[in-house]
Amino acid sequence: MFNAEKFIQEQVKELANTIKGNAIIGISGGVDSTTASLLVNKAIGRNLTCVLVDTGYMRKNEIEKNEKMLGQLGLSVLVVDAKQRFYEKLEGVIDPEEKRKRIGELFIRVFEEIARKENAKYFVQGTIAPDWIESGGGLRDKIKSHHNVGGLPEKIEFQIVEPLRDLYKDEVRIVGKALGLPVEVYERQPFPGPGLAVRIIGEATPENAMIIREACAIMEEEIEKAVQNKEMEKPWQYFAVLLPCKTVGVHGDIRAYGSVIAVRAVESKDGMSASYSQIPHKVLERISIRITNTLKDHVSRVLYDITNKPPGTIEYE
Amino acid sequence: MSNAPKIYVVDNGGQWTHRIWRVIREIECETKLIPNTTPVANIDADALVLSGGAPRIAWESPKLGLCTDYIKHFKGPILGICVGHQLMAVYYGGKAGPSEIPEYGLAKVEVLEEDDLFKGIPREFLAWESHNDEVKAVKDFAILALSENCKIQAIKHKTKPHYGIQFHPEINDTEHGEEIYRNFVKVVKQTA
Repeated sequence: MFNAEKFIQEQVKELANTIKGNAIIGISGGVDSTTASLLVNKAIGRNLTCVLVDTGYMRKNEIEKNEKMLGQLGLSVLVVDAKQRFYEKLEGVIDPEEKRKRIGELFIRVFEEIARKENAKYFVQGTIAPDWIESGGGLRDKIKSHHNVGGLPEKIEFQIVEPLRDLYKDEVRIVGKALGLPVEVYERQPFPGPGLAVRIIGEATPENAMIIREACAIMEEEIEKAVQNKEMEKPWQYFAVLLPCKTVGVHGDIRAYGSVIAVRAVESKDGMSASYSQIPHKVLERISIRITNTLKDHVSRVLYDITNKPPGTIEYE
Repeated sequence: MSNAPKIYVVDNGGQWTHRIWRVIREIECETKLIPNTTPVANIDADALVLSGGAPRIAWESPKLGLCTDYIKHFKGPILGICVGHQLMAVYYGGKAGPSEIPEYGLAKVEVLEEDDLFKGIPREFLAWESHNDEVKAVKDFAILALSENCKIQAIKHKTKPHYGIQFHPEINDTEHGEEIYRNFVKVVKQTA
Protein backbone atom coordinates (compact mmCIF):
# COMPACT_ATOMS: atom_id res chain seq x y z
CA MET A 1 0.00 0.00 0.00
CA PHE A 2 1.06 3.55 -0.68
CA ASN A 3 2.29 5.23 2.50
CA ALA A 4 1.40 8.94 2.38
CA GLU A 5 2.97 9.89 5.72
CA LYS A 6 6.31 8.42 4.70
CA PHE A 7 6.13 10.07 1.30
CA ILE A 8 5.40 13.47 2.86
CA GLN A 9 8.25 13.17 5.35
CA GLU A 10 10.79 12.19 2.70
CA GLN A 11 9.68 14.83 0.22
CA VAL A 12 9.59 17.69 2.71
CA LYS A 13 13.12 16.81 3.78
CA GLU A 14 14.35 16.60 0.20
CA LEU A 15 12.61 19.83 -0.80
CA ALA A 16 14.13 21.69 2.16
CA ASN A 17 17.55 20.45 1.04
CA THR A 18 17.05 21.27 -2.64
CA ILE A 19 15.42 24.69 -2.52
CA LYS A 20 17.74 27.42 -1.30
CA GLY A 21 16.00 30.78 -1.22
CA ASN A 22 12.78 31.72 -2.98
CA ALA A 23 10.63 29.51 -5.15
CA ILE A 24 7.48 29.97 -7.17
CA ILE A 25 4.93 27.34 -8.09
CA GLY A 26 2.57 27.29 -11.05
CA ILE A 27 -0.75 26.60 -9.42
CA SER A 28 -4.17 25.97 -10.94
CA GLY A 29 -6.10 25.08 -7.81
CA GLY A 30 -6.39 21.47 -8.96
CA VAL A 31 -5.39 18.46 -6.86
CA ASP A 32 -1.84 18.09 -8.20
CA SER A 33 -0.55 21.65 -8.03
CA THR A 34 -2.32 22.43 -4.75
CA THR A 35 -0.89 19.29 -3.12
CA ALA A 36 2.58 20.14 -4.46
CA SER A 37 2.30 23.67 -3.07
CA LEU A 38 1.37 22.40 0.41
CA LEU A 39 4.39 20.07 0.37
CA VAL A 40 6.75 22.87 -0.63
CA ASN A 41 5.10 25.25 1.80
CA LYS A 42 5.80 22.74 4.56
CA ALA A 43 9.44 22.66 3.48
CA ILE A 44 10.22 26.35 2.88
CA GLY A 45 7.22 28.27 4.25
CA ARG A 46 6.88 31.91 3.19
CA ASN A 47 9.65 31.61 0.63
CA LEU A 48 7.06 30.10 -1.71
CA THR A 49 4.85 32.22 -3.95
CA CYS A 50 1.93 30.48 -5.68
CA VAL A 51 1.27 31.89 -9.13
CA LEU A 52 -2.25 31.41 -10.46
CA VAL A 53 -2.41 32.34 -14.14
CA ASP A 54 -5.70 33.33 -15.71
CA THR A 55 -5.16 31.96 -19.21
CA GLY A 56 -8.65 32.75 -20.43
CA TYR A 57 -9.19 29.00 -20.72
CA MET A 58 -10.18 28.35 -17.12
CA ARG A 59 -13.62 27.10 -16.11
CA LYS A 60 -16.48 29.33 -15.00
CA ASN A 61 -15.62 31.48 -11.94
CA GLU A 62 -12.63 29.25 -11.32
CA ILE A 63 -9.94 31.88 -10.78
CA GLU A 64 -11.94 33.72 -8.09
CA LYS A 65 -12.91 30.49 -6.30
CA ASN A 66 -9.39 29.09 -6.36
CA GLU A 67 -7.74 32.30 -5.23
CA LYS A 68 -9.99 32.29 -2.18
CA MET A 69 -9.47 28.58 -1.48
CA LEU A 70 -5.66 28.84 -1.74
CA GLY A 71 -5.62 31.87 0.54
CA GLN A 72 -7.62 29.91 3.11
CA LEU A 73 -4.98 27.17 3.01
CA GLY A 74 -2.46 29.76 4.16
CA LEU A 75 -0.63 30.01 0.82
CA SER A 76 0.63 33.27 -0.59
CA VAL A 77 -1.12 33.64 -3.94
CA LEU A 78 -0.43 35.92 -6.87
CA VAL A 79 -3.02 36.05 -9.66
CA VAL A 80 -1.75 36.99 -13.12
CA ASP A 81 -4.21 38.04 -15.80
CA ALA A 82 -2.70 36.74 -19.05
CA LYS A 83 -5.93 36.19 -21.00
CA GLN A 84 -5.05 38.46 -23.91
CA ARG A 85 -1.55 37.02 -24.25
CA PHE A 86 -2.88 33.45 -24.42
CA TYR A 87 -5.65 34.34 -26.90
CA GLU A 88 -3.13 36.05 -29.16
CA LYS A 89 -0.63 33.19 -28.86
CA LEU A 90 -3.27 30.70 -30.03
CA GLU A 91 -4.67 32.78 -32.87
CA GLY A 92 -5.07 30.63 -35.97
CA VAL A 93 -3.65 27.50 -34.29
CA ILE A 94 -5.54 24.28 -35.01
CA ASP A 95 -2.98 21.51 -34.54
CA PRO A 96 -3.36 20.11 -31.00
CA GLU A 97 0.37 19.59 -30.42
CA GLU A 98 1.13 23.12 -31.64
CA LYS A 99 -1.52 24.41 -29.21
CA ARG A 100 0.01 22.54 -26.29
CA LYS A 101 3.53 23.73 -27.15
CA ARG A 102 2.50 27.37 -27.43
CA ILE A 103 0.63 27.17 -24.14
CA GLY A 104 3.58 25.45 -22.42
CA GLU A 105 5.96 28.12 -23.68
CA LEU A 106 3.80 31.08 -22.70
CA PHE A 107 3.24 29.60 -19.24
CA ILE A 108 7.00 29.42 -18.73
CA ARG A 109 7.53 32.99 -19.98
CA VAL A 110 4.91 34.28 -17.56
CA PHE A 111 6.49 32.31 -14.70
CA GLU A 112 9.96 33.58 -15.63
CA GLU A 113 8.75 37.18 -15.37
CA ILE A 114 7.35 36.51 -11.90
CA ALA A 115 10.46 34.56 -10.84
CA ARG A 116 12.65 37.53 -11.77
CA LYS A 117 10.48 39.87 -9.69
CA GLU A 118 10.42 37.47 -6.75
CA ASN A 119 14.11 36.64 -7.12
CA ALA A 120 13.22 32.93 -7.29
CA LYS A 121 15.64 30.39 -8.75
CA TYR A 122 13.29 27.44 -8.37
CA PHE A 123 10.08 26.69 -10.18
CA VAL A 124 7.84 24.00 -8.74
CA GLN A 125 5.30 22.09 -10.83
CA GLY A 126 2.62 19.59 -9.87
CA THR A 127 3.75 17.17 -12.59
CA ILE A 128 2.54 13.59 -11.98
CA ALA A 129 3.47 10.29 -13.62
CA PRO A 130 0.97 10.28 -16.52
CA ASP A 131 2.22 13.74 -17.59
CA TRP A 132 5.75 12.58 -18.41
CA ILE A 133 4.65 9.10 -19.50
CA GLU A 134 2.26 10.49 -22.13
CA SER A 135 4.70 13.20 -23.19
CA GLY A 136 7.06 10.50 -24.46
CA GLY A 137 10.80 10.81 -24.97
CA GLY A 138 13.46 8.18 -25.52
CA LEU A 139 11.76 4.92 -26.34
CA ARG A 140 8.34 6.06 -25.26
CA ASP A 141 6.01 7.25 -27.98
CA LYS A 142 4.50 10.72 -27.57
CA ILE A 143 0.74 10.50 -26.99
CA LYS A 144 0.43 14.22 -26.23
CA SER A 145 2.79 16.93 -25.01
CA HIS A 146 1.70 17.83 -21.51
CA HIS A 147 2.26 21.57 -21.16
CA ASN A 148 4.44 21.04 -18.09
CA VAL A 149 6.73 18.42 -19.69
CA GLY A 150 6.75 17.98 -23.47
CA GLY A 151 5.42 21.51 -24.02
CA LEU A 152 8.31 23.20 -22.22
CA PRO A 153 10.60 25.48 -24.23
CA GLU A 154 14.26 24.43 -24.56
CA LYS A 155 15.73 27.37 -22.67
CA ILE A 156 14.40 27.95 -19.18
CA GLU A 157 15.80 30.39 -16.61
CA PHE A 158 15.10 28.44 -13.43
CA GLN A 159 15.49 24.99 -11.97
CA ILE A 160 12.38 22.83 -12.13
CA VAL A 161 11.28 20.89 -9.03
CA GLU A 162 8.60 18.19 -9.32
CA PRO A 163 7.85 16.46 -6.00
CA LEU A 164 4.90 14.39 -7.30
CA ARG A 165 6.62 13.01 -10.41
CA ASP A 166 6.24 9.34 -9.48
CA LEU A 167 2.67 9.49 -8.23
CA TYR A 168 -0.66 8.88 -9.92
CA LYS A 169 -3.80 10.89 -9.31
CA ASP A 170 -5.22 8.50 -6.70
CA GLU A 171 -2.01 8.68 -4.68
CA VAL A 172 -1.87 12.47 -4.96
CA ARG A 173 -5.38 12.59 -3.52
CA ILE A 174 -4.22 10.56 -0.51
CA VAL A 175 -1.23 12.88 0.00
CA GLY A 176 -3.46 15.95 -0.41
CA LYS A 177 -5.89 14.60 2.17
CA ALA A 178 -3.07 13.86 4.61
CA LEU A 179 -1.79 17.44 4.15
CA GLY A 180 -5.18 18.83 5.13
CA LEU A 181 -6.75 19.69 1.79
CA PRO A 182 -10.53 20.08 2.00
CA VAL A 183 -12.48 17.16 0.51
CA GLU A 184 -13.83 19.27 -2.38
CA VAL A 185 -10.24 19.90 -3.44
CA TYR A 186 -8.66 16.45 -3.04
CA GLU A 187 -11.67 14.83 -4.71
CA ARG A 188 -11.88 17.42 -7.48
CA GLN A 189 -11.98 15.93 -10.96
CA PRO A 190 -8.86 16.32 -13.13
CA PHE A 191 -8.63 19.34 -15.44
CA PRO A 192 -5.98 19.55 -18.17
CA GLY A 193 -3.15 22.05 -17.78
CA PRO A 194 -3.85 23.80 -21.10
CA GLY A 195 -7.42 24.17 -19.86
CA LEU A 196 -10.41 24.63 -22.13
CA ALA A 197 -8.08 25.29 -25.08
CA VAL A 198 -7.79 21.51 -25.58
CA ARG A 199 -11.55 21.07 -25.24
CA ILE A 200 -12.03 23.23 -28.32
CA ILE A 201 -11.21 21.15 -31.37
CA GLY A 202 -10.03 23.76 -33.82
CA GLU A 203 -9.17 27.37 -33.10
CA ALA A 204 -9.39 28.34 -29.43
CA THR A 205 -10.91 31.78 -30.02
CA PRO A 206 -12.34 33.79 -27.10
CA GLU A 207 -15.84 33.08 -28.46
CA ASN A 208 -15.24 29.33 -28.58
CA ALA A 209 -13.78 29.53 -25.08
CA MET A 210 -17.00 31.17 -23.89
CA ILE A 211 -19.11 28.40 -25.50
CA ILE A 212 -17.14 25.53 -24.03
CA ARG A 213 -16.85 27.22 -20.63
CA GLU A 214 -20.63 27.40 -20.45
CA ALA A 215 -21.10 23.83 -21.72
CA CYS A 216 -18.58 22.45 -19.21
CA ALA A 217 -20.30 24.35 -16.40
CA ILE A 218 -23.68 22.85 -17.36
CA MET A 219 -22.20 19.36 -17.58
CA GLU A 220 -20.59 19.72 -14.14
CA GLU A 221 -23.72 21.16 -12.52
CA GLU A 222 -26.07 18.54 -13.94
CA ILE A 223 -23.80 15.63 -13.06
CA GLU A 224 -23.24 16.92 -9.54
CA LYS A 225 -26.99 17.48 -9.08
CA ALA A 226 -27.70 13.92 -10.24
CA VAL A 227 -25.07 12.58 -7.83
CA GLN A 228 -26.67 14.52 -5.00
CA ASN A 229 -30.08 13.10 -5.93
CA LYS A 230 -28.54 9.63 -5.87
CA GLU A 231 -29.36 9.02 -9.53
CA MET A 232 -25.76 7.99 -10.19
CA GLU A 233 -22.25 7.70 -8.74
CA LYS A 234 -19.83 10.55 -9.36
CA PRO A 235 -17.71 9.77 -12.42
CA TRP A 236 -13.92 10.15 -12.28
CA GLN A 237 -14.05 12.95 -14.84
CA TYR A 238 -16.88 14.67 -16.73
CA PHE A 239 -16.73 17.49 -19.22
CA ALA A 240 -17.81 18.86 -22.61
CA VAL A 241 -15.87 19.30 -25.85
CA LEU A 242 -16.62 21.64 -28.76
CA LEU A 243 -16.33 19.84 -32.10
CA PRO A 244 -15.29 21.63 -35.31
CA CYS A 245 -18.41 20.94 -37.32
CA LYS A 246 -21.90 22.29 -37.72
CA THR A 247 -25.24 20.57 -38.11
CA VAL A 248 -28.80 21.60 -38.87
CA GLY A 249 -31.44 22.09 -36.21
CA VAL A 250 -34.88 23.64 -35.88
CA HIS A 251 -35.74 26.39 -33.39
CA GLY A 252 -39.39 27.51 -33.26
CA ASP A 253 -40.05 26.56 -36.88
CA ILE A 254 -36.91 28.33 -38.01
CA ARG A 255 -33.81 26.65 -39.39
CA ALA A 256 -30.81 26.60 -37.08
CA TYR A 257 -27.24 25.74 -38.04
CA GLY A 258 -24.91 25.36 -35.09
CA SER A 259 -21.95 23.57 -33.56
CA VAL A 260 -21.82 20.12 -32.03
CA ILE A 261 -20.88 19.53 -28.41
CA ALA A 262 -19.64 16.13 -27.22
CA VAL A 263 -20.07 15.33 -23.55
CA ARG A 264 -17.82 12.77 -21.93
CA ALA A 265 -17.74 11.08 -18.53
CA VAL A 266 -15.30 8.32 -17.59
CA GLU A 267 -14.44 5.98 -14.75
CA SER A 268 -10.78 5.54 -13.89
CA LYS A 269 -8.39 5.23 -10.98
CA ASP A 270 -5.21 6.74 -12.28
CA GLY A 271 -6.07 8.12 -15.71
CA MET A 272 -3.87 5.58 -17.51
CA SER A 273 -6.91 3.56 -18.60
CA ALA A 274 -10.57 4.47 -18.44
CA SER A 275 -14.03 3.26 -19.33
CA TYR A 276 -16.90 5.51 -20.32
CA SER A 277 -19.47 6.09 -17.57
CA GLN A 278 -22.82 4.39 -18.00
CA ILE A 279 -24.79 7.37 -16.75
CA PRO A 280 -28.62 7.31 -16.83
CA HIS A 281 -30.31 8.52 -20.03
CA LYS A 282 -32.49 10.86 -17.98
CA VAL A 283 -29.39 12.69 -16.80
CA LEU A 284 -27.92 12.80 -20.31
CA GLU A 285 -31.20 14.20 -21.58
CA ARG A 286 -31.21 17.04 -19.05
CA ILE A 287 -27.62 17.89 -20.03
CA SER A 288 -28.54 17.90 -23.70
CA ILE A 289 -31.63 20.05 -23.22
CA ARG A 290 -29.82 22.59 -21.07
CA ILE A 291 -26.82 22.91 -23.38
CA THR A 292 -28.86 23.28 -26.57
CA ASN A 293 -31.26 25.75 -24.93
CA THR A 294 -28.75 27.89 -23.05
CA LEU A 295 -26.33 27.99 -25.98
CA LYS A 296 -29.02 28.10 -28.67
CA ASP A 297 -27.16 30.61 -30.83
CA HIS A 298 -24.08 28.40 -30.97
CA VAL A 299 -24.95 24.75 -30.41
CA SER A 300 -27.49 22.65 -32.25
CA ARG A 301 -26.62 19.15 -31.13
CA VAL A 302 -25.13 17.19 -28.20
CA LEU A 303 -23.43 13.78 -28.42
CA TYR A 304 -22.37 11.36 -25.68
CA ASP A 305 -18.92 9.80 -26.09
CA ILE A 306 -18.83 6.03 -25.53
CA THR A 307 -15.11 5.41 -26.13
CA ASN A 308 -12.88 3.74 -23.54
CA LYS A 309 -9.16 4.49 -23.05
CA PRO A 310 -7.54 2.83 -24.89
CA PRO A 311 -8.26 3.34 -27.72
CA GLY A 312 -9.45 6.90 -26.96
CA THR A 313 -7.66 9.21 -24.53
CA ILE A 314 -9.78 10.90 -21.86
CA GLU A 315 -9.38 14.42 -23.24
CA TYR A 316 -9.62 14.97 -27.00
CA GLU A 317 -6.33 16.71 -27.85
CA MET B 1 16.41 -14.05 -0.47
CA SER B 2 14.86 -11.83 2.19
CA ASN B 3 11.08 -11.76 2.47
CA ALA B 4 10.65 -9.13 -0.23
CA PRO B 5 11.90 -10.39 -3.57
CA LYS B 6 13.61 -7.96 -5.91
CA ILE B 7 11.68 -7.73 -9.15
CA TYR B 8 12.94 -5.14 -11.61
CA VAL B 9 10.89 -3.73 -14.46
CA VAL B 10 12.74 -3.45 -17.77
CA ASP B 11 11.50 -0.32 -19.54
CA ASN B 12 10.63 -0.89 -23.20
CA GLY B 13 8.90 2.47 -23.40
CA GLY B 14 5.32 1.42 -22.68
CA GLN B 15 2.54 3.70 -21.52
CA TRP B 16 2.00 1.29 -18.64
CA THR B 17 5.62 0.43 -17.73
CA HIS B 18 5.48 2.69 -14.68
CA ARG B 19 2.16 1.05 -13.73
CA ILE B 20 3.91 -2.35 -13.56
CA TRP B 21 6.47 -0.77 -11.23
CA ARG B 22 3.64 0.58 -9.11
CA VAL B 23 1.75 -2.73 -8.85
CA ILE B 24 4.92 -4.61 -7.91
CA ARG B 25 5.72 -1.97 -5.31
CA GLU B 26 2.19 -2.25 -3.92
CA ILE B 27 2.41 -6.01 -3.49
CA GLU B 28 5.43 -5.36 -1.32
CA CYS B 29 8.33 -6.36 -3.49
CA GLU B 30 11.49 -4.38 -3.91
CA THR B 31 11.41 -2.90 -7.39
CA LYS B 32 12.85 -0.33 -9.73
CA LEU B 33 12.55 0.66 -13.36
CA ILE B 34 15.68 -0.09 -15.39
CA PRO B 35 16.53 0.90 -18.98
CA ASN B 36 16.52 -2.00 -21.42
CA THR B 37 20.18 -1.21 -22.10
CA THR B 38 21.31 -2.23 -18.59
CA PRO B 39 23.99 -4.96 -18.91
CA VAL B 40 22.76 -8.23 -17.46
CA ALA B 41 25.81 -8.40 -15.16
CA ASN B 42 24.64 -5.19 -13.43
CA ILE B 43 21.19 -6.53 -12.59
CA ASP B 44 21.01 -7.79 -9.01
CA ALA B 45 17.30 -8.73 -9.15
CA ASP B 46 15.61 -12.05 -8.36
CA ALA B 47 13.25 -11.69 -11.31
CA LEU B 48 12.47 -9.41 -14.24
CA VAL B 49 9.37 -8.10 -15.93
CA LEU B 50 9.91 -7.04 -19.55
CA SER B 51 7.45 -4.20 -20.11
CA GLY B 52 5.41 -3.47 -23.18
CA GLY B 53 6.25 -0.59 -25.49
CA ALA B 54 5.72 1.05 -28.85
CA PRO B 55 8.40 -0.95 -30.78
CA ARG B 56 6.89 -3.22 -33.46
CA ILE B 57 8.14 -6.77 -33.02
CA ALA B 58 8.71 -7.55 -36.70
CA TRP B 59 10.92 -4.60 -37.63
CA GLU B 60 11.86 -2.62 -34.52
CA SER B 61 13.25 -5.28 -32.19
CA PRO B 62 16.62 -3.44 -31.90
CA LYS B 63 14.68 -0.88 -29.82
CA LEU B 64 14.18 -3.61 -27.25
CA GLY B 65 17.84 -3.20 -26.28
CA LEU B 66 19.30 -6.08 -24.31
CA CYS B 67 16.00 -7.89 -23.66
CA THR B 68 17.16 -10.90 -25.69
CA ASP B 69 20.27 -11.02 -23.50
CA TYR B 70 18.09 -11.15 -20.41
CA ILE B 71 16.08 -14.07 -21.76
CA LYS B 72 19.32 -15.86 -22.61
CA HIS B 73 21.48 -15.12 -19.55
CA PHE B 74 19.37 -13.83 -16.63
CA LYS B 75 19.11 -16.54 -14.00
CA GLY B 76 15.71 -15.85 -12.37
CA PRO B 77 12.11 -15.93 -13.60
CA ILE B 78 11.07 -13.54 -16.37
CA LEU B 79 7.60 -12.28 -17.20
CA GLY B 80 7.19 -10.61 -20.59
CA ILE B 81 4.26 -8.23 -21.05
CA CYS B 82 2.92 -7.30 -24.51
CA VAL B 83 5.99 -6.73 -26.71
CA GLY B 84 8.07 -8.43 -23.99
CA HIS B 85 5.84 -11.49 -24.36
CA GLN B 86 6.18 -11.36 -28.16
CA LEU B 87 9.96 -11.15 -27.96
CA MET B 88 10.08 -14.15 -25.66
CA ALA B 89 8.07 -16.26 -28.11
CA VAL B 90 10.29 -15.18 -31.02
CA TYR B 91 13.50 -15.83 -29.07
CA TYR B 92 12.57 -19.49 -28.57
CA GLY B 93 11.72 -20.00 -32.24
CA GLY B 94 8.08 -18.90 -32.34
CA LYS B 95 6.49 -16.28 -34.60
CA ALA B 96 5.07 -12.80 -33.91
CA GLY B 97 3.83 -10.00 -36.15
CA PRO B 98 0.96 -7.60 -36.92
CA SER B 99 -2.43 -8.72 -35.60
CA GLU B 100 -5.18 -9.28 -38.10
CA ILE B 101 -7.58 -7.73 -35.61
CA PRO B 102 -5.64 -5.66 -33.05
CA GLU B 103 -7.26 -5.26 -29.64
CA TYR B 104 -7.52 -1.89 -27.89
CA GLY B 105 -9.35 -1.78 -24.61
CA LEU B 106 -11.62 -4.40 -23.13
CA ALA B 107 -11.42 -8.09 -24.15
CA LYS B 108 -12.61 -11.31 -22.59
CA VAL B 109 -9.74 -13.66 -21.77
CA GLU B 110 -10.31 -17.38 -21.49
CA VAL B 111 -7.88 -19.44 -19.43
CA LEU B 112 -6.92 -22.74 -21.09
CA GLU B 113 -4.45 -23.89 -18.51
CA GLU B 114 -4.22 -22.50 -14.98
CA ASP B 115 -0.50 -23.25 -14.49
CA ASP B 116 1.25 -20.83 -12.10
CA LEU B 117 0.02 -17.48 -13.42
CA PHE B 118 -3.72 -18.09 -13.31
CA LYS B 119 -3.96 -20.05 -10.06
CA GLY B 120 -7.15 -19.18 -8.18
CA ILE B 121 -8.41 -16.96 -11.00
CA PRO B 122 -11.72 -17.58 -12.85
CA ARG B 123 -11.53 -19.33 -16.22
CA GLU B 124 -12.93 -16.20 -17.87
CA PHE B 125 -12.23 -12.60 -16.96
CA LEU B 126 -12.10 -9.16 -18.55
CA ALA B 127 -8.71 -7.75 -19.41
CA TRP B 128 -7.39 -4.56 -21.03
CA GLU B 129 -5.43 -4.81 -24.21
CA SER B 130 -3.45 -2.38 -26.32
CA HIS B 131 -1.50 -4.09 -29.08
CA ASN B 132 -0.84 -3.88 -32.79
CA ASP B 133 1.20 -7.11 -32.90
CA GLU B 134 0.72 -10.56 -31.41
CA VAL B 135 2.32 -13.98 -31.03
CA LYS B 136 1.32 -16.22 -33.95
CA ALA B 137 3.09 -19.45 -33.02
CA VAL B 138 5.17 -20.78 -30.13
CA LYS B 139 7.85 -23.42 -29.74
CA ASP B 140 8.49 -25.09 -26.37
CA PHE B 141 5.74 -23.05 -24.71
CA ALA B 142 2.33 -24.03 -23.35
CA ILE B 143 -0.46 -21.66 -24.35
CA LEU B 144 -2.29 -20.67 -21.16
CA ALA B 145 -4.98 -18.26 -22.36
CA LEU B 146 -6.71 -16.84 -25.43
CA SER B 147 -9.24 -14.18 -26.46
CA GLU B 148 -11.65 -14.04 -29.38
CA ASN B 149 -9.27 -12.12 -31.63
CA CYS B 150 -5.92 -13.23 -30.27
CA LYS B 151 -5.32 -16.91 -29.79
CA ILE B 152 -2.14 -16.62 -27.74
CA GLN B 153 -2.81 -14.37 -24.75
CA ALA B 154 -0.47 -16.03 -22.25
CA ILE B 155 2.37 -18.55 -22.43
CA LYS B 156 4.65 -20.52 -20.13
CA HIS B 157 7.94 -22.10 -21.18
CA LYS B 158 7.97 -25.88 -20.81
CA THR B 159 11.18 -26.07 -18.78
CA LYS B 160 12.23 -22.53 -17.79
CA PRO B 161 10.49 -20.01 -15.47
CA HIS B 162 9.72 -17.80 -18.48
CA TYR B 163 6.20 -16.42 -18.94
CA GLY B 164 4.50 -14.11 -21.41
CA ILE B 165 1.22 -12.19 -21.25
CA GLN B 166 -0.25 -10.24 -24.15
CA PHE B 167 -2.84 -8.28 -22.13
CA HIS B 168 -2.05 -5.85 -19.30
CA PRO B 169 -2.59 -7.18 -15.77
CA GLU B 170 -1.07 -3.95 -14.39
CA ILE B 171 -4.12 -1.96 -15.47
CA ASN B 172 -6.76 -1.36 -12.79
CA ASP B 173 -9.59 -2.31 -15.08
CA THR B 174 -8.11 -5.74 -15.80
CA GLU B 175 -9.92 -8.14 -13.48
CA HIS B 176 -7.61 -10.12 -11.17
CA GLY B 177 -4.58 -8.26 -12.57
CA GLU B 178 -2.90 -7.83 -9.21
CA GLU B 179 -3.49 -11.53 -8.42
CA ILE B 180 -1.65 -12.48 -11.61
CA TYR B 181 1.37 -10.45 -10.46
CA ARG B 182 1.05 -12.02 -6.99
CA ASN B 183 1.13 -15.44 -8.65
CA PHE B 184 4.30 -14.44 -10.47
CA VAL B 185 5.81 -13.35 -7.14
CA LYS B 186 4.98 -16.82 -5.75
CA VAL B 187 6.93 -18.34 -8.65
CA VAL B 188 9.84 -16.02 -7.82
CA LYS B 189 9.81 -17.10 -4.18
CA GLN B 190 9.65 -20.77 -5.10
CA THR B 191 12.46 -20.50 -7.62
CA ALA B 192 14.85 -18.76 -5.25
